[in-house]
Amino acid sequence: MDHSADRSPKRRRSEDGYEASPPRRRSISCSPSNASPQYKLAERPARRSYSRADRADDSDNDTDRRYYRDRRSSRSRSRSRRSRSPSEAHSRRSFTTPPPPKPTQLHYKQKLILRGHKKGVSAVKISPDGRRIASCSSDATIKIWDSKTGKLEHTLEGHLAGISTIAWSPDSTILASGSDDKSIRLWDVTTGQPHPVPLLGHHNYIYSIAFSPKGNMLVSGSYDEAVFLWDVRAARVMRSLPAHSDPVGGVDFVRDGTLVVSCASDGLIRVWDTATGQCLRTLVHEDNAPVTSVRFSPNGKYVLAWTLDSCIRLWNYVEGKGRCVKTYQGHVNKKYSIGGAFGEYGVPECRYAFVASGSEDNSIVLWDVSSKNVMQRLEGHSGVVLGVDTHPDEPMLVSCGLDRTVRVWRDEEDVQPE
Amino acid sequence: MNLSLVDPFVLAQDCPEALTGRLRSGHSTSIRFSHRGDLLASGRLDGIVIIFDIETSGVARKLRGHTRQVQSLSWSANDRYLLSASQDWKCVLWDLKDGSRVRTVRFEAPIFIAELHPKNHLLFVAAIFEDQPVLVDISSEIPVKRTLPSAPRRPQIERDNATEKQAAQDAKQTSTVTVFTPSGDYILAGTNKGWMNIIDTATRQVQYSTRLTNNLIIFIRTTASGRDIVVNSSDRIIRTLHLPDLTDPKLDFENMRLEVEHKFQDVVNRLSWNHVSFSSTGEYVTASTWMNHDIYVWERGHGSLVKILEGPKEELSVVEWHPHRPFVAAVGVDSGRVYLWSILTPQRWSALAPDFVEVEENVEYVEREDEFDIQPIEEIHKRRLDLEDEEVDVLTIEPVKAELEQGEFRMPVLLDIDASDSEDEVIAIGAGQFRRKSPGQGRDWMNDNEAVVSGDEQKKAATNGTAKTQNGTKRRRAE
Repeated sequence: MDHSADRSPKRRRSEDGYEASPPRRRSISCSPSNASPQYKLAERPARRSYSRADRADDSDNDTDRRYYRDRRSSRSRSRSRRSRSPSEAHSRRSFTTPPPPKPTQLHYKQKLILRGHKKGVSAVKISPDGRRIASCSSDATIKIWDSKTGKLEHTLEGHLAGISTIAWSPDSTILASGSDDKSIRLWDVTTGQPHPVPLLGHHNYIYSIAFSPKGNMLVSGSYDEAVFLWDVRAARVMRSLPAHSDPVGGVDFVRDGTLVVSCASDGLIRVWDTATGQCLRTLVHEDNAPVTSVRFSPNGKYVLAWTLDSCIRLWNYVEGKGRCVKTYQGHVNKKYSIGGAFGEYGVPECRYAFVASGSEDNSIVLWDVSSKNVMQRLEGHSGVVLGVDTHPDEPMLVSCGLDRTVRVWRDEEDVQPE
Repeated sequence: MNLSLVDPFVLAQDCPEALTGRLRSGHSTSIRFSHRGDLLASGRLDGIVIIFDIETSGVARKLRGHTRQVQSLSWSANDRYLLSASQDWKCVLWDLKDGSRVRTVRFEAPIFIAELHPKNHLLFVAAIFEDQPVLVDISSEIPVKRTLPSAPRRPQIERDNATEKQAAQDAKQTSTVTVFTPSGDYILAGTNKGWMNIIDTATRQVQYSTRLTNNLIIFIRTTASGRDIVVNSSDRIIRTLHLPDLTDPKLDFENMRLEVEHKFQDVVNRLSWNHVSFSSTGEYVTASTWMNHDIYVWERGHGSLVKILEGPKEELSVVEWHPHRPFVAAVGVDSGRVYLWSILTPQRWSALAPDFVEVEENVEYVEREDEFDIQPIEEIHKRRLDLEDEEVDVLTIEPVKAELEQGEFRMPVLLDIDASDSEDEVIAIGAGQFRRKSPGQGRDWMNDNEAVVSGDEQKKAATNGTAKTQNGTKRRRAE
């Protein structure tokens, strides 16, 4: 890391040049007089569980180029490790069956149109268990639909203004919604009732919310330029992140809950440590285009960000100071805060990832993550497509837009992993 | 996943340095971290067991069932079950999935400590006041209590020459602390005469005994590996011992000899120790001190004192170390607060903008040859896009240690916990407006606790008259 490199000259200097000066003490309270000779011991890099994990992480960096690791613990056991680099792939192919060629197209077709919202639908989310679809609209309602049949299960009413964002709790029992009435509400999805205590604290419209993977925390981004971490149980602000100097467009939690990402119209994407509330990384593209939406990749190693220059960028936030590794183009996004999602395709033994996003030309665009090729363009909406979400297990997409509809798309040719 | 972004100098620190937080719900008397380290169980003076969420510092669950001070807590391996032992002479096994009581076991005497078997949550061992310890099987509705011996196992020669007096003395010994080894095959028991017995869980026979001290043994704790133990005894000395691999079938107990590795004591102040625990790796030993405000941290490599944690101006009782992190929690005796020590992580300014670099002294800037060259924007864009040709894998999940596996137990998030007694008896009724909770509210579950006056109730009784004048101000606790 360049940080440690920066430090080393100073270290050397202080040892060489200032030997005569008394050794620095950290604080009087922390150093019992009889303990001072032991400080070296206390400060050495410890043989400790997580520093080891850290080191293992570094050494793995080159190996994971070559191998696809176990992906989801539930499915991956049977799946063989797939080789990546050509030479490696060649040697493997001699004794294993060659993987089928990578598909170049997807075949999603419109299956359902869910009508009912009276104004544009701003976001749509499939529950983590895949059974329900939630959509929210500027008509201040949320609708819960059955993902199989498209039957309307509940209409959640209670917000006083349009709703920009919704998030499912990881156990699919609670839905959180953020509204222009400055409140975040929690809803019991089975009964359709709101939780009596809304989360109050933002001073302006709420743009984006996300649940932590354990469901105990919620992160919210608002037009008031703040990012709040909420204790869901107590409905109180746990931590306020001094995030941005412009309205915050998107927030997300990484899959193990240790990081939060936020983005804003000032063009900055910031990665935060959940536990300490400190900014760990800032990603910024030269053009400083306003960032409207941001998501972690399914494995948490990349950040996908939508900007108002009609680009979606995939960032490697770990390496160096953060690096843009892919730019997806082909959609139109100059005005609206458009959302999207990662999806999977391919045969069960080797899955590939695609990026799905709405567009201002009324279509949905699907790109292959690695090749950046447009794999499919879904037409059907008669207005700007504002939100797209993918099903966790099935080849299914949902989309919503200014034409007040929610549409369900399925790819019947894609082999479903069991 | 934050580790790759955190300052390596921060990660290298493995001993907490400063008071960083406090938790409070009622008057806590004992605490214990869950194995994964995301939850902290806290037993209260009024018998309620609180589960704190470490991430949010909030109350995750309230378990009601005991009527007196909670004495000890023990988690099952998957963190789903919690065993609590209370001064109401009962042990309760809780299921944290729904907060129900799986089993309630009554005893005829107060319980010093009750520990769950590390692999079987329906088996526990309890040390009882002035009685022999018991191994309790609660797999059926009616608990089966099996008595464990406390009399030390003497070597063959001593056994042959044993006088009646000595035998009678041995028989009078009782165990004051019993804990399982991490494998669960053996029980380590400390007696009131300073002996430590190693008892086989299956046969319930003492396999080995050693006399560590002439005084009573207060507490025993093992490391996660089970190879090291720390013993607190009333002679004001903390001893650490290295155990052989007890799971080794070839182990010969007859010829085994245990040596004390370190003796930690404060020779100057002659302090005695309330509670001891190991750090996550066993590298450090921490102890809270009797009639003193400090927590001592010794390092085991050389056996030296490395730190004294200060902070609250009160005596601390139970001190526990987080299972993975440099993070220490301790209970204040007077206030019942849980104090948390951790490391301080300063904000790195270089993280706030990609072109910021942290330099310790001025660096002469060398301009790149082409730094101010003007190039057509389209060309730059095109070149940049062409460079993005690497394979990107966004799906593969790398296994990370101490991470939640799929299918592992997760405690459901409850939204309706009555946590308003977490800080004084004040409820928020609006933005910036508070009102005092009416006394006795939500306490109808307590039917046989007239004798117990908890800290909360005392406070209420004292302040009922002035309650109405309090509005929007947090009252300081009258200590």
